[in-house]
Amino acid sequence: MKPLLKAQGISFSFPGRIVLEDVSFEAREGEFIALMGCNGAGKSTLMDMIVRLREPSRGQVLLRGKPLSEWRSDQLSHEVSHLPQSVRTDLPYTVEQLVLMGRYPHRTSWFDSPEDVEAAKIAMQRTSCWQDRRRRFFTLSGGERQRVLLAACLAQQSRLLLWDEPSVFLDIDQQLSCFQLLKEEAADGKLCIAVTHDINLALTYCSRLLVVSNHKLVVDIATGEARHQPGWLGFLSPRLELGTGPNGNPWVWYQ
Amino acid sequence: MSGDDQAAAKRKVLLCVLAFGTAAIVLPWVGPGPLSLGRVLQKQSPDGFIFLQLRLTRTLLALFAGGGLSLGGTLFQAVLRDSLATPYTLGVSTGASFGAVIIICLGWQTIWGIPATWVGALAGAFLVLVVVMSAAARNRHISTFGLLLTGIAVNSVCSSFILLFYSLAGVTRSFSISRWLIGSVDATSYTSLGVFVLVVTVTAYFVIAQASGWNLLSVDEQWAASRGVNVQSLVVKGYVSGSVLTAAAIALTGPIGFVGLIVPHIVRARISSDHRILMPCAFLLGGTLLALCDALGRVVLAPAEVPAGVTLALLGGPYLVWLVRERI
Repeated sequence: MKPLLKAQGISFSFPGRIVLEDVSFEAREGEFIALMGCNGAGKSTLMDMIVRLREPSRGQVLLRGKPLSEWRSDQLSHEVSHLPQSVRTDLPYTVEQLVLMGRYPHRTSWFDSPEDVEAAKIAMQRTSCWQDRRRRFFTLSGGERQRVLLAACLAQQSRLLLWDEPSVFLDIDQQLSCFQLLKEEAADGKLCIAVTHDINLALTYCSRLLVVSNHKLVVDIATGEARHQPGWLGFLSPRLELGTGPNGNPWVWYQ
Repeated sequence: MSGDDQAAAKRKVLLCVLAFGTAAIVLPWVGPGPLSLGRVLQKQSPDGFIFLQLRLTRTLLALFAGGGLSLGGTLFQAVLRDSLATPYTLGVSTGASFGAVIIICLGWQTIWGIPATWVGALAGAFLVLVVVMSAAARNRHISTFGLLLTGIAVNSVCSSFILLFYSLAGVTRSFSISRWLIGSVDATSYTSLGVFVLVVTVTAYFVIAQASGWNLLSVDEQWAASRGVNVQSLVVKGYVSGSVLTAAAIALTGPIGFVGLIVPHIVRARISSDHRILMPCAFLLGGTLLALCDALGRVVLAPAEVPAGVTLALLGGPYLVWLVRERI
C-alpha cells in the first residue's frame, strides 16, 4: 500500500531557534500513530506542518504523493482534519453549531444539508456530547469542550486525523473512549496521528510510536516491538520503567 | 442546523426584513410637524418637499448607514475575535474623521460638486486602510493581532491630530468640527444616496455571502485554515470590506459608533451567533435602530434635534448593560 503521508527531511526553525531538524517518516491508512516527546520538543509544530499551518524551512510533506504546497485549501480539508491544542473558550456558538463547522468542506448550500446534520449528529453521539447540543460552548467544562472539538473533527470525515492532545481535559473513561474511537477510525481505513503524553494509552491503543527529542525524530517503532525494547522510554523521562499489567499487557511504571 | 432550526432562522430574518421595510415606510412621517398624505402624494409644497427631499432621504440614509456600521461591527468582531471590536477599532473611522476635519479647517465646501467633507472622510479612511495593512503585513502574512495593534496605534495618532487641528482652528470652524464629530443623519441628495446605497448593498452582499467563513474565522485562524478557509485572503477581504462599509457611512453621517457595537451583541444574544443569521439580521436591525433613533431625535425636543448617535447611545447603552448582566 502506498503511504498516505510522507515527510521528507522536514526542518523548522524560529529566528535563532531550531525546532525540528531533518524529520522523515511515512504513514499509511489504517495506522494509529502516537506522537510523543517532552514539552517543546516540536510535536505540535510537526502536526502544523503536516496540516500546512506552517511551512517547513527545508524538506517537504507529501500527501497521496503530491507535495502539500500543491494542494488547494478546500481539497486539503477533505483529506485532513486537525484538532488544535486549544481554541478560545468564550465562543458564543452552541455545541451543534460548532460541530457543524466541521462540515464546511462538504458544504454545497447556504444552510446545512440533511447529510451535514446527520454526520454532525453521529459525531456528537460518538463523543458523548449529543445531549449538550443546545448548550453554548462557553458554558461547558474543559472536558465537555474537548469532546465538542473532537466531534467537529469527526464530522469533517477526512482520511487523515491529526489530533493534538485529544485526551487533554477528559476524564479517565472519556480518555479511553477517545483512544478507542481513534482506533476504530484507523480500523475503518483512516490514518490517525495523535500527540499524547499518556504512554499507557499509546501502548494500549496505537499501532506505532514516534518520539521527537532534541529536534529530531529519534524513535519510530511499532508498538509490538516497543514492548520488548524499552530504551525509547529514556527519551521521555529517566524515571520510567516498562513492566506488565495485570492482564499481561505492557505497562509503563514511574519511579 | 436542522430543518426546524432553518425554518425558525428564516422566520427571524423575515421579521427583520419587515422591521426594516416598516421603518422605511413609517419613519419619514415622523417629525416635529405633521404631514398631509394628500399633499405629499400631489407633491405640494411644503409637505411634498419635506417628505421627499428631507425626511425620506434622511430615513433611507439612516437605514443603510446603520446597517453598514452594524454589519461592519459584526465583521470586525469576527475577524479580530474580539467582542469589543467596532467599525472604529482599526482606525478607519478616526482616519475618516481626520480627513473631514482637515477639509473643515481648509474651509472647502465642495470638490467636483461633491460635499468636500465626504471626499476628505473617504480619503482619510483610505489612507488609514493602506497604512494599517502595510504595517500589519510581514512576509506576505497579515496577522489579526498585527492589524489590531496597528489599528489602535493609528487611531491614537489620528485622534491626536484631530485634537490639534481642533485647538488651532478658529471658533466657527471648531464648532463645525465638533458638530461633525458628534455624528448625525441629515437629508442628502438622491444622487449621493443612490451611490451610497449601491456601495453599501454590494459590500454587504459580498460580506454576508461568506458568512460560513466568518463563523470559522471567529473561532480561530488555525481552526478555519484546517477546514479549508483561505485565512489570509479572508482576513484581507474582511478588513477591506469592513472599512468600505465604515468609510461610506461615516462620510455621510459623521462618526456614529455605538450601533456597530450594540446591535451585533443584541442579535447574538437574542437571535443567533451563527453569522449566516447574525449578519443579515445585524444589517437590517442596525439600520432600523438608527433610523428609529433619528426619528425620535426629531421629535423629543422639537424644534431642536437630538443627533441620532446621541439618542442611540442613551437608549442602547443601558440596554446593553442590562443584557450583559442578564446573560452573565
